Amino acid sequence: MAASAQSTHAVGPSRKLSGTIGRYALVAALVLVFALFASIAPGFLSGANLLSVLVNNVALLAIAAVAMTFAVSAGGIDLSVGTAIDFASFAFVSLVLAGQPVLLAIVGGLAGGAMVGLFNAILIAGIGISPFLATLGTLFVGRSVQQLLTNGGNPVYLPPNSVPDAFRVLGHGTIADIPLPILVTLVILAASWIVLARTAFGRSVIAAGMQASVVRYSGLSLPRINAVTYILVSLIAAVVGLILTSTVTVYIPSSGNAFLLNAIGATFIGTTFDRHGRPNIPGTALGVLLLGIVANGLLLSGLNFYWQQVGTGLLIFSVLAIGFGQRENVTRA
Amino acid sequence: MPEARQEKEPVLRLENIVKRFGGAEALSKANLTVRRGSVHGLVGQNGAGKSTLIKLLAGLHQADEGRIEIDGVAQDRLTPHLAEALGIHFIHQDRLLVPSFTVGEALFLGHEPRIAGTPFLDRRAMRRQAEETLRRYFDLSLPSDALIAELSAAEKQIVQITRALIANPKVLVFDEPTAALVRREAELLFRLIRRLSAEGITILYISHYLGEIVDLCDTVTVLRNGRDVATLTVSETSAAEIGALMVNREIAELYPKPTVSAGEVLLEARNLTLAGSYRDISFTLRRGEVLGMTGLVGSGAKEVVRTLFGLETATGGSIAVKGDVVVPANPVGAASRGLALVPEDRRRDGVALSLSVLENTTLASLKRFSRGLINRRAERHGADDLVRRLQIKTDGIDALVGTLSGGNQQKVAIAKWLSRQSEIYLLDEPTVGVDIGAKVEIYHLIGELAERGAGIIVLSSDIEELRGITDRLLVFFRGRIARTVATAEVSSEQILADVTGAHESLRHVG
Repeated sequence: MAASAQSTHAVGPSRKLSGTIGRYALVAALVLVFALFASIAPGFLSGANLLSVLVNNVALLAIAAVAMTFAVSAGGIDLSVGTAIDFASFAFVSLVLAGQPVLLAIVGGLAGGAMVGLFNAILIAGIGISPFLATLGTLFVGRSVQQLLTNGGNPVYLPPNSVPDAFRVLGHGTIADIPLPILVTLVILAASWIVLARTAFGRSVIAAGMQASVVRYSGLSLPRINAVTYILVSLIAAVVGLILTSTVTVYIPSSGNAFLLNAIGATFIGTTFDRHGRPNIPGTALGVLLLGIVANGLLLSGLNFYWQQVGTGLLIFSVLAIGFGQRENVTRA
Repeated sequence: MPEARQEKEPVLRLENIVKRFGGAEALSKANLTVRRGSVHGLVGQNGAGKSTLIKLLAGLHQADEGRIEIDGVAQDRLTPHLAEALGIHFIHQDRLLVPSFTVGEALFLGHEPRIAGTPFLDRRAMRRQAEETLRRYFDLSLPSDALIAELSAAEKQIVQITRALIANPKVLVFDEPTAALVRREAELLFRLIRRLSAEGITILYISHYLGEIVDLCDTVTVLRNGRDVATLTVSETSAAEIGALMVNREIAELYPKPTVSAGEVLLEARNLTLAGSYRDISFTLRRGEVLGMTGLVGSGAKEVVRTLFGLETATGGSIAVKGDVVVPANPVGAASRGLALVPEDRRRDGVALSLSVLENTTLASLKRFSRGLINRRAERHGADDLVRRLQIKTDGIDALVGTLSGGNQQKVAIAKWLSRQSEIYLLDEPTVGVDIGAKVEIYHLIGELAERGAGIIVLSSDIEELRGITDRLLVFFRGRIARTVATAEVSSEQILADVTGAHESLRHVG
């Protein structure tokens, strides 16, 4: 009924104020956590450590989280971002091993990742399966396919002396002393921000996520919006697979799933940064920074690995509680 | 004799009932007296206060003023449970039966028989009682372990009625009971109601269909604008007279209507047919014309409008837009041909409540504002213009549409298409849930659109509104156009008679 459409979103005069508190909460948490670890974690503030946080903890997760942000903006979720990462890795590694030029291998890797998105698009936009279930299925299918392709899940190594070194450029190269992974991440962040916030496509994605039936009744094609979204998500995720493989010179089946939960976490932490609580790219970037700093800080503090997870969980709770707790208070009855 | 005295006594008496929702008075000093053993009809247009009155009686709302007497005893704290305990039961088409329950479970939900002295359900008694009642009244052997979800609309209704009958009701209230039934099923229902009445159960029967009222009831009360305007003995009146009482015959200056001469044909439907919904629908819509459509739920009018916008696909016939035959397979195609739909369920389909006025206004016309990137200045300028032109009351174009009043939300839903420069407007119940001030502004806007050369179809169940703002009128009845007429040449009574099939019923009787 009509009532259900309005119930999920708070509306009211003090909305703007609470939005400000939410934004403040995320930035404040970032500053606070940074200051905390700077004072208690030995070596946290060193340039080498901070650079390593950016390259190893932040850059790849940021790309995966940006991909996730598109799916969440469209009102869905993509549980198969890891699968796209893996398929891109596998295609990239296979083409390099087959002696193909690195540029072709990169294109092939992107295509391999995008295929996962195409599969999702068919399930979601074509058949009408809910994004959660569709991408969960893709996650399972993807895992099996990888095991079949690798004799039950054996890693595929790129031996340094038998293949050209060019394949390592993505992971290890620099431009003007800035590591390539960071540059690629910045480019993807900027481009995605523009697409989501400033293009007709981005607007229709956000509208579809808010109230799909209005989008349909406005003469826009929901299936098209969903199909493009999920292909785009996988294409962006594929970049993670390329950089990852280029860095570690090995493809490990199903390793991409390691990014999944943090990508979801960063996306939802990021929603507190928007005035209306929408997924947004700058918020997602801040969320990734927060997660990266916390992981690194807890590690340097000598905290047990399992307690690190607890710390991350508590952090997500508190940011969401501050960001959205304010919002609940102004929900009109 | 006590028996005879009781016959005369009203079983229900509602006196001077006032009920307000927010500032609006849904009922202002309404009265309803139902005699024991009678079949009492309750009629009125949408918004007349019928459903509010019924909800008060059911204990779902409490009256602000007035007095409700049941069996001569004043009830000032009626609850749904108490109403049932007093023997008043409601049969409502939308009343929820839990779909995953079996017939037996649904029948006894809330008053399950127990095995004496234990908390356990007496399943055997449940089954016996259910099957007995079903056979006795409906000559129907519905397995009591069938699932509700598997039943047809008519069978679900039978389960509801049976549920009420098991509780030995004094009064049965039927709220629009035939809306979901086909003709044959409705006939069965009427026969049943006559039989229940003969067994001494008092019936309160609410319906749009005047034909049914005249056929079935002995007394009828007409509600209009929250008041009871008349209570009549049916044998001394007619469907036409009841209809005349239902509509306010004074059409005030509520309906601004510019005179626009009709131009070229914008839209033409030929023998449009959708199996199971409507058939052989033909009409044209010209530039500058406001074409009204009306009909009851299920008459096919709404489905025709949905078909024009590509939300349904016709199974026969053709649609031509400016002379080109098109098959609007989806709203994307319809919108690109210049059609615009302002849907009835505004808060679900018309506007996105958690998007801003700006984002809603330009949602259907984003292409106009973007070359790669959205030109934000042009977009804000366009939205600002429309907010001003339509006098949309908002804190600004960045305010969320959910914060706007119903009338202003509706204006945003229309502005969306003005921004796209659509030419054919399909307005589905454009003023439902809109306050009277915004209503008149929307009528002005419709007139302005016509003056600018758009063609407008207004689908409405508000006959006054149709009389006031349309040039021509198509009246739908059970899937067909019952009448095509110039609005100026037809009276509200005639329209209402066509809508409700009163002619048909009179023909049956006379």
